[in-house]
Amino acid sequence: MAVKSGETKRPMWLNVFGISCLILFGVATFLGLVTSPPDVNQGDLIRVMYAHVSVVWVGFVAVIMTAIFGMLFLWRSKAMDDVWAVASAEMALIYFALAIIGGMTYSKPTLGVFWDWDAKLTLTALEFALLVGYFIVRGLLDDPKQRARISAVVSIIVLASLPFNWMAAKWFRTLHPSKSFDMTSSGVKDTMAPIFRNILLFNVAVAALIFIYFLFERVRLGRLEVKAEALEDSIQPRSEVVRV
Amino acid sequence: MKKLIYGIAGVVILGIAGALIYKALNSSLVYFILPNEYAAHPDQYKNRRIRLGGLVEAGSVKYDDKNLQLAFEITDSIKTYPVTHVGAPPELFKEGTGIVVEGHFEGQTFKSDQLLIKHSEVYKPPVDGQPIDIKMLKDTLQ
Repeated sequence: MAVKSGETKRPMWLNVFGISCLILFGVATFLGLVTSPPDVNQGDLIRVMYAHVSVVWVGFVAVIMTAIFGMLFLWRSKAMDDVWAVASAEMALIYFALAIIGGMTYSKPTLGVFWDWDAKLTLTALEFALLVGYFIVRGLLDDPKQRARISAVVSIIVLASLPFNWMAAKWFRTLHPSKSFDMTSSGVKDTMAPIFRNILLFNVAVAALIFIYFLFERVRLGRLEVKAEALEDSIQPRSEVVRV
Repeated sequence: MKKLIYGIAGVVILGIAGALIYKALNSSLVYFILPNEYAAHPDQYKNRRIRLGGLVEAGSVKYDDKNLQLAFEITDSIKTYPVTHVGAPPELFKEGTGIVVEGHFEGQTFKSDQLLIKHSEVYKPPVDGQPIDIKMLKDTLQ
């Protein structure tokens, strides 16, 4: 478990990847703000949609990844599974926060209110609270195994609520608009003009790349943390926690 | 083997939890009611604050911009009710669009104090060469 010299440095390929993400983010923003035509009903407000929808979609993926690595940890207790889980959980929390902020920005001028407790928004608030809980739980527990196990269970609970959020506008009556792309019994529904759809998909792809960049960076740091913890333990064995 | 039992138990518990969440959300989180649902049980909603959802009936919108009096009809194509609202209509408010109004019934008229837009999932750019609405332009410039 020795830390080799140079191992603490961020590798070159990750730097290049990060800078590429930044450039692509600029392109995606240009496409959304300049290239995209206005919407026939919403006008320029449609531009908020690109930011809002892309962070939501990637946020959902981040939650799914957190739960998958949580389940892997429960299955085989590998420290690195927990590292991957935390890395994606941090991104899930940030993307959910961005989704809520962007959603409120978008909602006020189009729907008329910043926030309302419809099924979709309520579930999003619940999931955000659970993600915050995930980190509170981790902060409270010192034993790495126990910390990883309990937070994994929290992430699985968030995952269980995700399909309800995804399908909320279809299953319940919500203020939030329905999905423009949808699988229906009569095939794929797509009610978004191709120019909007293409720019949206580009924005989603860039949001995903930014997620991947921070995921790799956080896993790199997490791996060092695991090694540092092991080193500390080898010098001075962890004292038993006294329970009152 | 032990892990498998835990795994199956976990899936079963999550399934039950999911079904319960679905049921709870479905029954208690009825975000709005439709005009025909109100018409079926008007007594149930008597003197109660409700959210009514539907479409703005075409040709029914009257707006008095001096006194900010908005009047229109809300419909679910089964039942239609007149709505009055004090305040300027939101930007996306127009005939045929989905709306949710909050307020209460006075007789057969719905008095709204909050008007929310539930727009459709159709997004498209404006068509090129569409004639400019001169009247609207004049109204805007006044």
